[in-house]
Amino acid sequence: MVDLNSYIYLSLILFLIGLFGFIFRRNIIILLACVEIMLNALIILFASISYFRKDATGYILVFFIIAMAAAEAAVGLTLAEALYKKLKKVYTEEINLFRG
Amino acid sequence: MSAQDLAFYYLSFAMILSGLFTVFSRNPVHAVLSLLVLIVHQAFMLYLLGSEFLSAIQIIVYAGAVVVLFLFVVYLINLQKEARFRVFVRRFSLGLIFFILFGFLFVKYFVLIFSMSTGLRTLLPIDPTSSQALKMMARYLFTEYLFQFELIGVILLVVVFGTVFLLRKVKEERVG
Repeated sequence: MVDLNSYIYLSLILFLIGLFGFIFRRNIIILLACVEIMLNALIILFASISYFRKDATGYILVFFIIAMAAAEAAVGLTLAEALYKKLKKVYTEEINLFRG
Repeated sequence: MSAQDLAFYYLSFAMILSGLFTVFSRNPVHAVLSLLVLIVHQAFMLYLLGSEFLSAIQIIVYAGAVVVLFLFVVYLINLQKEARFRVFVRRFSLGLIFFILFGFLFVKYFVLIFSMSTGLRTLLPIDPTSSQALKMMARYLFTEYLFQFELIGVILLVVVFGTVFLLRKVKEERVG
């Protein structure tokens, strides 16, 4: 039987997958994709709680999350592109500007 | 088991699988396309959760704009010859500490949501075939959350300026 807890379990699993990728991947573009996975997990959480509570606040939050995710992806990918133009590197371990 | 339950099981299975593909695939193009599969399945899940409007927004904004942006950047940064190197970071143990730490924190918060949600399960959900959810959402969005709605527009404008500013041509700067 599918109830709210099933949706929360799915959201938790997706969030942990995104967190794993965000911590362990090297490529900075995939890091941003993992942030998108985590935001998608939160979208499922808010939408399912809103659906089971018959309250539209969660849907509003999902709307704002989608808008912020678009802005975040644009800025993050622009930063990755600027970093690649400056250093010719996209791997997080090789970026050591502060070490000189 | 109803059709809605079957749809939930299929969608969750596909989403978890494509999320794992995104994290573990070596080629960045494959990873971004797996993210696209995840997003399309999630749009169906939002439809299942009673909001056709958010489902359409998900398709338009995520699949139409964000994933295309990712693909553009992946093609712009050409990584063909570097794709055979290793995928994950070298200092695995340090990352494992952070993963366990953050993972424990988030599992704790999700368990908190579980404990709050036990009383809500008896409520009857919204009928997804009616447009009740969209009406409620529109009423909230243009009365209570009007300021936040305008603020999103300002943020998107700032993002446009910031993107142009960060990628402008600089003549004097030397490559460090």
